[in-house]
Amino acid sequence: MLFTLGLIGLLTRRNLIFTLMSVEVMLNASGLAFVAGSYQWGRPDGQIMFLFILAMAAAEVSVGLALFLQFHRRHPALDSDTASEMRG
Amino acid sequence: MTVSAIRACLPLLILAVTSVAVMIGIAIQRNHRATVVISLAGLALSFFSLWTAYSEAPAQITSLLVIDQYALLYMGFLLAASSAVVLLAFPYLENRSEHKEEFYLLAILATVGSMVLAASSHMASFFLGLELLSISLYALISYPRTQDLPLEAGIKYLVLAASSSAFLLFGLALIYIAQGTMEFRRMAGFSMDSAGGFAYLAGLVLVVTGIGFKLAVVPFHLWTPDVYQGAPVPVTAFVATVSKGGVFAFLLRWLRAGGAPSEPVTLILGIIAIASMLVGNLLALRQTNIKRLLAYSSIAHMGYFLVAVVAGGALGKAAATYYLVAYITTILGAFGCLLALGNGAVETETFDDVRGLLWRRPVLASVFTAMILSLAGIPLTAGFLGKFYVLAAGASATAWLLVVVLIISSTIGLVYYLRIIVAMFADSEGTAEEVKASRLGIGPSLVLALLTLGLVVLGVYPGPLWNGIRAAAAALG
Repeated sequence: MLFTLGLIGLLTRRNLIFTLMSVEVMLNASGLAFVAGSYQWGRPDGQIMFLFILAMAAAEVSVGLALFLQFHRRHPALDSDTASEMRG
Repeated sequence: MTVSAIRACLPLLILAVTSVAVMIGIAIQRNHRATVVISLAGLALSFFSLWTAYSEAPAQITSLLVIDQYALLYMGFLLAASSAVVLLAFPYLENRSEHKEEFYLLAILATVGSMVLAASSHMASFFLGLELLSISLYALISYPRTQDLPLEAGIKYLVLAASSSAFLLFGLALIYIAQGTMEFRRMAGFSMDSAGGFAYLAGLVLVVTGIGFKLAVVPFHLWTPDVYQGAPVPVTAFVATVSKGGVFAFLLRWLRAGGAPSEPVTLILGIIAIASMLVGNLLALRQTNIKRLLAYSSIAHMGYFLVAVVAGGALGKAAATYYLVAYITTILGAFGCLLALGNGAVETETFDDVRGLLWRRPVLASVFTAMILSLAGIPLTAGFLGKFYVLAAGASATAWLLVVVLIISSTIGLVYYLRIIVAMFADSEGTAEEVKASRLGIGPSLVLALLTLGLVVLGVYPGPLWNGIRAAAAALG
């Protein structure tokens, strides 16, 4: 459910920040699924996986925001449609 | 951790330590040359420690990593490809204004990630390896951050790769819910009819989506041309070899470990293979930019790989691996030539840039021609034998549809490969301004010479490598 919500956000929003947020929602959805699985099976490894996902999501967002910052210096609006110089 | 386990994963450890050493080196003093030396030393040490690890193989290290002959073979390829990229990148970065040293740090980290992928036998190590690889790649692709195109390529790759990771993770989570284990070994023999069969199937499809994105096969290929064009040439070479090689190693192991039931996944992979071969080759026909053209041709080549994967069996695995070696050698050579043509400030990209190359720089032009011919699969080159083995594997598995599509699409492929060659042999009258021939440094010349040698040796005398690959593929099970 959360995953679908993130996916819809990814597809409809044009703003890069919102795109990144939607990806985060999708990542957290899978994290939640892992935790649910570990609860269902009574094993801790799903929760450990969730910690990995958190760490990785943080790394991804930091790199992403750095790139967006650079992009913002060139194009005042963070609209993903402006990032389409390459075609073909 | 016992001593033997440490010995077995020595290649990984050495390379990880190298990345820390490079980091500390940068913190103390920025020195481009020293950074390259440290990186290369680390890569070489790691390469030679493969033999130490080999004496321990096969070793299962906790439940995360399995170091067997197969993993070591792939690690060897990845390390060699990565060293070649580092050597090729040195003169390129020397001519640029950015900070140069972090490039090697990121490249080494990505290589570690890719090697972990080749050895992973557990969802967690697979996921960590993949993310180590992709997050380094985001930064590498937009490395010249003051330019528009790399930045755009980086953002596109980031958004798409991040969402594909989310798909992959969700798929892994579904499989975990269905099976209660994250080890690929234990997933064998899971019946689709039992409870959780649907979640398992949905998970598999999502995982294939994630892997397909990394390999850039149709219909997950949309990022490829933009990233190939936008990224700096050494990074493009890196994406094409190290990143795809690692993911590919994982795909073979995963299918082999019985983590996937053969029927549905084989069907999906077959369809993907056919679509990739056709779409890649047809779209490449329209390109005028060599980097974009190579991107589309790489999509087609991934389709050829998948033919061997779908064919399965000992022959299929060995053929896929051989094809990968041939492809890595060739594509590194091709991008190496593009690098040698540019001088850092301007990149060689269009057909016009290579027009009449034969008359200006005959040696380089002939090396480039050899690489292109190998991509096209002309006899006496590595590409031909690779394709031959793939065809043999396909035929022995009686996957006739795949074989026919492969033959048709490689014929289409010849057209655009020959266009590059024709452009190189054409008269250079039209392009009046002569590109200042920058002297090629000793490093890149050596790499290009070795790659060309390798290309011919692989194409004429494949025996030793083929036997080694077969033995490793047998070790995979």
